[in-house]
Amino acid sequence: MKFLCLECNTAMEFKETATPDQGSLTAIFECPDCFAEFAMHMNPWETQMLKSLDVQLGGKSEAAQPMQMVRSFLNQQSPDNLTAEAPTVSVEGGGKCPFTSVVAEAFQEPAETTGPVWTPDALARLERVPSFVRSMAKTGIEEFARENGHTEITTEVMDSVRGNFGM
Amino acid sequence: MKTYKDLPDDGGSNIVGQVTQQVNRLQKRLASVRHTVAIMSGKGGVGKSSVTANLASALGLRGHNVGVIDADINGPSIAKMMGVRGQRIDYGDDGVKPALSPLGVKVMSMDLFLKDDETPVLWEAQTQKDAFTWRGTMEMSALREFLSDTEWGTLDYLLIDLPPGTDRLPNLVDLLPNLGGTVVVTIPSGVSQLVVKKSLTMAKKLLNAPVIGVVENMAAYVCADCGKTEDLFPSGHTEEMVRQFDVSLLGKIPFDPRISIAADEGSVFVDQYGDTPAGQTFFGITDNIRTFFE
Repeated sequence: MKFLCLECNTAMEFKETATPDQGSLTAIFECPDCFAEFAMHMNPWETQMLKSLDVQLGGKSEAAQPMQMVRSFLNQQSPDNLTAEAPTVSVEGGGKCPFTSVVAEAFQEPAETTGPVWTPDALARLERVPSFVRSMAKTGIEEFARENGHTEITTEVMDSVRGNFGM
Repeated sequence: MKTYKDLPDDGGSNIVGQVTQQVNRLQKRLASVRHTVAIMSGKGGVGKSSVTANLASALGLRGHNVGVIDADINGPSIAKMMGVRGQRIDYGDDGVKPALSPLGVKVMSMDLFLKDDETPVLWEAQTQKDAFTWRGTMEMSALREFLSDTEWGTLDYLLIDLPPGTDRLPNLVDLLPNLGGTVVVTIPSGVSQLVVKKSLTMAKKLLNAPVIGVVENMAAYVCADCGKTEDLFPSGHTEEMVRQFDVSLLGKIPFDPRISIAADEGSVFVDQYGDTPAGQTFFGITDNIRTFFE
């Protein structure tokens, strides 16, 4: 997709993404001449399609990890996948925008809201988990919490499963 | 007003460049693979995965370096048949290390990523409603990663076990324009061949993908006591079909319950029963495949 500023007849440039909202992704484009901006809201299916292609709006700032798509988006994985360390992949010709995994983050919130509640401290700590295993880590912690009767996920609960996820 | 083609790029995302990078990564990985072979059937339940597991193992027993990809993302069975279920996903310097069968065949399957036997393949999404709009693309990306992110090393043969149906072959040819060939598995039943003909048409006439030949599975029953052979289905249809499409009949595998038992146990039939009629047929098909590439 390409966007044109009708006023200037100039190609608009990708500027940034806005906070994902319930599975939808917002991309903001800007005209380099008149600086007019517009936001493109993608519905969840369009966002999911983008995710399934394993491409990123704004370009990639780092090379893909091995099996990145499978590891990032496959639900209910073997615990081995969560602990396995991916090798560092060198970056060649990174994109202009350093936003990584924003599409993945659009799907961090589970569809159901009846699970354990995350405290702000626990959520902040979850954010420090590498993006490509974050969603699986979150699922695993929530499962652990449910199985052990925790209605709230605190940093203490995370400590209990720390050995499993290496956080 | 400028049109689409007047604009030099897509505003900085370079989606085409990202896809090109994926293709380059795939080509680089497969540069050390001599022959890629897709095993397809069209119809489910004809024993395609079992044939794949045995052909891969027979090639290995013939001294070749062999890899197998289970491209049936939603119904993976190769890992179990080849006795590699439960092997840990591990990383090497350049990707994911494949599972290794007792015969040294390298295996990559979605089965290795799943939590347990009952877990289906589900992708993270805000909702699974209307997932048909993106699930196919997700599965193709998974297959691309299996191809490009597995440390295959140097292989003589990489067999790709496709799911039933005709739809995945075009996707695979998109990923592998230089696909070495396809092996089409059928059983003698008219219903199977009705569907298999569609696969042959897709491969041969629409995609111009090389067809190595047809394998007829469950061709007959050999009595374990007296050695007498009897047909399980009306015979002759497969011969007619290969004549119609001008392709080779690579072999007719007689039904042997030990093939299924071995698959369930994760022990490969050709390794244990290579001297039986079915075992000899597997080796014969293997030699026909080798001949095709020579």
